[in-house]
Amino acid sequence: MSEAQLEPNKDNNEKSQNEPNNAKLDHSIFDADIHGQSANMVYLARIFSWLSPHKKLATVSVLLVVTASFIAVLLPVLISRVVVDNIIIGEADLLMPDFGLNTLMTWLATITGLDPIIAACILYGLLTLLCHSFYHLHRVTFAKAILHSLRDMRLDLFRHMEYRPSSFYDKVAVGRVMTRITNDVQALFELLMGLGMLVGEFVPFFIALFIMFAIDVKLTMYLLIAIPIFAFITYFFRMATRRVYRMIRNTVSQLNQNLQENLSGMQVVQLSNRERKNLSVYRVINQKNQKHEIEAIYLETGYGAFMDNMVNMALAVILWFGGGAVIQDAISLGSVILFTQFVDMFIRPIRVLGMQYNVLFRAMASAERIFQALDWHEQVREPVKPAKLPERIAGKLEFRHLSFGYEEQDVLHDVSFTINPGEKLAVVGPTGSGKSTLIRLLGRFYDFDNGTIFLDDNDLNSIPSSEVRKRIGVVLQDFHIFSGSILDNIMLGNPSITREKAIDAARLVNADKFIEALPKGYDTLLVERGQNLSQGERQLLAFARVLAADPEILILDEATASIDTETEQVIQQALKQIMQDRTSILIAHRLQTIAEADRVLVLKNGRVKELGTHEELMAHRGVYYTLNQLQFQDISINPAE
Amino acid sequence: MKVLLRLMPYIRAHIWAFSFGISGLLVARIFEAMIPMYIKMGIDSLTEGKAGFDFTSTVTQQALFYPAIAIVICVILQMLVTIVSRILVRRIGMYAAFDLRNRIYHHLQLQGPGFFQQYSIGDLMARAINDISLVRQVIAGSTRMTSVLIFTAVVGLGFMFSLSLQLTLAVLLPLPIISIVAYRYSKKIYDQSHLVQEGFSDLSTFVQENLNGIRTVQAMAQENEEVERFADVNQQFADRNLELFVTTSMLSALMPTLAAAATIIIIGYGATLVSAGDITLGTFVAFFSYLGLLLWPVREIGPLVTQWQRGASGTARLFEILDHKPEISNHPATDFPKLTGRVEVKDLSYRFENKDKFALKDINFTVEPGETIAILGRVGSGKSTLLRLFVRLLEPTNGQILLDNHPIDGFPLDKLRDQVCLVLQDPFLFADSLGDNIAYDNTDRESDEIWKSADAAALRDTIEDFPEGLKTILGERGVTLSGGQKQRTALARGLVRMSPLLILDDCFSAVDTQTEEHILSGLKRVRQNLTTMLVSHRVSTARHADRIIVLSEGEMVEMGSHTELLEKGGFYADLEKAQSNTSRLLEDLETSDE
Ligand SMILES: Nc1ncnc2c1ncn2[C@@H]1O[C@H](COP(=O)(O)OP(=O)(O)OP(=O)(O)O)[C@@H](O)[C@H]1O
Ligand SMILES: Nc1ncnc2c1ncn2[C@@H]1O[C@H](COP(=O)(O)OP(=O)(O)OP(=O)(O)O)[C@@H](O)[C@H]1O
Ligand SMILES: [Mg+2]
Ligand SMILES: [Mg+2]
Repeated sequence: MSEAQLEPNKDNNEKSQNEPNNAKLDHSIFDADIHGQSANMVYLARIFSWLSPHKKLATVSVLLVVTASFIAVLLPVLISRVVVDNIIIGEADLLMPDFGLNTLMTWLATITGLDPIIAACILYGLLTLLCHSFYHLHRVTFAKAILHSLRDMRLDLFRHMEYRPSSFYDKVAVGRVMTRITNDVQALFELLMGLGMLVGEFVPFFIALFIMFAIDVKLTMYLLIAIPIFAFITYFFRMATRRVYRMIRNTVSQLNQNLQENLSGMQVVQLSNRERKNLSVYRVINQKNQKHEIEAIYLETGYGAFMDNMVNMALAVILWFGGGAVIQDAISLGSVILFTQFVDMFIRPIRVLGMQYNVLFRAMASAERIFQALDWHEQVREPVKPAKLPERIAGKLEFRHLSFGYEEQDVLHDVSFTINPGEKLAVVGPTGSGKSTLIRLLGRFYDFDNGTIFLDDNDLNSIPSSEVRKRIGVVLQDFHIFSGSILDNIMLGNPSITREKAIDAARLVNADKFIEALPKGYDTLLVERGQNLSQGERQLLAFARVLAADPEILILDEATASIDTETEQVIQQALKQIMQDRTSILIAHRLQTIAEADRVLVLKNGRVKELGTHEELMAHRGVYYTLNQLQFQDISINPAE
Repeated sequence: MKVLLRLMPYIRAHIWAFSFGISGLLVARIFEAMIPMYIKMGIDSLTEGKAGFDFTSTVTQQALFYPAIAIVICVILQMLVTIVSRILVRRIGMYAAFDLRNRIYHHLQLQGPGFFQQYSIGDLMARAINDISLVRQVIAGSTRMTSVLIFTAVVGLGFMFSLSLQLTLAVLLPLPIISIVAYRYSKKIYDQSHLVQEGFSDLSTFVQENLNGIRTVQAMAQENEEVERFADVNQQFADRNLELFVTTSMLSALMPTLAAAATIIIIGYGATLVSAGDITLGTFVAFFSYLGLLLWPVREIGPLVTQWQRGASGTARLFEILDHKPEISNHPATDFPKLTGRVEVKDLSYRFENKDKFALKDINFTVEPGETIAILGRVGSGKSTLLRLFVRLLEPTNGQILLDNHPIDGFPLDKLRDQVCLVLQDPFLFADSLGDNIAYDNTDRESDEIWKSADAAALRDTIEDFPEGLKTILGERGVTLSGGQKQRTALARGLVRMSPLLILDDCFSAVDTQTEEHILSGLKRVRQNLTTMLVSHRVSTARHADRIIVLSEGEMVEMGSHTELLEKGGFYADLEKAQSNTSRLLEDLETSDE
């Protein structure tokens, strides 16, 4: 990282180098620049696919808004045509339509025997009530339809992300995925609600258009010229904002990611005295974001005000062309006056459209991100024709010529060995030799192409990954403790684990001692990542969790690394019974942890170096022998050469 | 609502731009109001023209031309003024958001572990993203809209008063009811917005935690259950949103419906007045158009109240964080000596909040410069708690720690942490390059220094194996490294600082014995004459130390050198026996084999 990025005004060109650290993680394939070019209609169509289960509700809702908007048009007509023209002045201008309101009022007055003015008042009150009830019903039904479809969308998105494999999360920061599920879906709410209102706005538009055409086709055509002009300007605006919106989106997600990572690693930040520096990095991104946001404000305000005000130009057009036509006696003066009255109805939707456009564009950016996430299809290969496993498996494992590498690095080379049913195999080897990788492949966290693993003579790749993971329980080296109660953490939502079973599992790993000492025992609430427990206590929980699930094959990847010897011995006693007749793999650096193993496999640089019983390997005097010597050698041998 | 006053400084900072912006918007409305006047003028002159003039006469043309041009000018002026003033106001919202983001970021950096146990990261993120944008909306949008609406209403009322006092007063009759309803609803909206925002926090928290633990979830094949749990949170959020929405929509419907009473009053009462000759027909008609000026604001009360209340609740949530006093007080003392590494712990006790048992009880010991101290103890015996007290991640409940005879709470925090380096038990790495992770405290470090500490942490071979060496970019939290690699990277990050007091919290648990021996000898080399304290579960590690401290249930039960403690025959001796028992057992096997 260079100092350059500390200076807010230095806009970096060599992006790849100067981007703040948090931007580095996302590999480009997962965040291919969103250009906003793809047809928005496609996105809209895709959004509507979530709306379709709520189609009926949405349709009713749209009908409601159409009706309500129609009544809303009637209200001013009632006042001008019925109250003023008819009742007070006593003459009706025939040119102006009254939508049968006069008849209605007269009818009301005759059947109730009321004064016309009172009848009009009642009519007005009723219509208002009806109008706003309909609007209210529309909003509520529409909101319901949309909230429910967005709820479904969010759930689908979450489910989709839940099933992405580890290889995916190796590359993509959690923060990025998270904001898509939370904020981006939220952004669509505004968009869709706006669209609903928009439908309503077009009712007066069409009524006005209809009347205006009836009055004067030519003058109406003049006004309609406005539409292509607006379309053109909108296109222009879109071009101009595309880059800005993209930059905003990028900076916002950088901000969020930076914040998230800093919150997660706050203790390290504080202990390294990096607060000031990190703040300045954040400030720089924030500054950039502000710059683009302000650009967006300029553009949006310009465009919004233009759309908003230019419509008033229509009045000048009417006056000029209409007035000219009046002078030439082409149309009547009354028509021109009518036009000036209706033009507002005609213009309103365009105005609203103009205001909605910003929302639309911003929301489209969110839609794009959501669909991009939904289109991340990376997953481990699931078998087309899954092999059927028996109720209880024997638990034989065979690795045959397995080679594997992560993206750039080869980790395992031609690994072959067999674990017999009920056998306990210890895997030892220097750090980074590929032990955990072996386990990850066994758990089908990554796809592998070279070599095969057989579970009871079934190719592992022919078994669905969830099935594999149910059979094989792994105490992960980097386990995760969730917020929630201790019990929740042991049961992990698995309905087949009862409270008793969970407590038993805790007892097996000797976690019951510390848990019962807690004021609330098993119901003690843990915070995020179990920060209110000691590291060893957390590990005990992670261990208990796997035992509670009662898997048929048990794998312990450094499951007691942070646990003291005394506790470990207690656990080992308990495990003896559990592991009897249960195929197990034990990975450990501390050799006393694996004292119970039947055979030992030594993995070094991704190759099987030694395999045999403890005695065989000690006799062999190879890697294992050396490790033993080192671990149990006497203090008198000074390790500092 | 009162909480919104806390946003005042952000407006005050740009008070001129704000005042200009708001007044500009009012001016723009005046321009807008002028347009109908010119239309009337044009139509009037048309009527005259029709009456007497030649249709092609220039006089008529001009009668049309002037009003039309005037309208165009009004529109353009209105547009320009609107643009300038809107930009002025909207920018203030952005500045506030910018400043609040920095402020909250900085404030979070001051918080200790207690705070982060209280607020989850997902929650904090939701506040920093969502609530700030709500605040921005209030400053940039609601203030503007409210001023315009008030202005419009006042203008409308002014005109109405000038036309007819009686009628205006009659029109105002429904006003008290409207205010009461609006007030009632606004309270409800505030509470419901709060729930929605909390629901959003819950959602964020859930997603963020779940994704962080995705590997665990998948390993336990619990994806489906998690999705179901998410469905609940998600449903709750949708429900709360709908509840809020029904309330706001109801308010939006009630306001104009109640206001319709005003219209009905004009119709009924006005018509009576007209027929009684108290007002003219013209006044009556004009009244309707001005009523429109009054009704528009009333119709907007609903959405506006919602915006204000959501902003208020967002503001409250932000200031809840910003008002949180850091647990650790910082004393910016003037001079700070370079420490020799002498440590004295006096009657040190610590008790976690909401626990009755002490995690540490009356710990007393001293460490001379250059000594290496090992700390042993069972799981949960208080080792990490003790170590965290040294860097003031926690504040002791009782007693104190002295460095070179100065109590540590007298030191400025950054200086203290500069010289006392704690490597945490749970290695956290950033999604950054390996090299930057090692030189995290100071990015300007020479690569020599980095390599030196990598050597001491037995990391050189590993790094050289990576195709990109020190430039290798790590996954989030270092997920692309093996357990031991992560731990050693974190260790190297601590070693590179060469601080007078280095504290290692169980930093060898994930490395094999051979590597550990390597590291320990490396440590001896680079930390000659510097004080080191380390926690371990292994006797093979502890025996390298000059002295060993054994903790049990928060109390110091043994202290002495390896041999002393073996002779004493306590916890340590038992441990040694237990750990070498296995080895002896193995050795027995071995000898019997040969
Ligand atoms: N997700 C990943 N992406 C890329 N490389 C990885 C990933 N996980 C591990 N590696 C690399 O693969 C190698 C083997 O890692 P693995 O975790 O299997 O080691 P290990 O034997 O379990 O070591 P340890 O004892 O330290 O846990 C290491 O060099 C590591 O850097
Ligand atoms: N934030 C916390 N809030 C409440 N209790 C805590 C908190 N952190 C730790 N504890 C408790 O304090 C005790 C001491 O914890 P500490 O982390 O110091 O143990 P430790 O000796 O480091 O154990 P380990 O060897 O497992 O790391 C434990 O019982 C633990 O549950
Ligand atoms: Mg590992
Ligand atoms: Mg600890």
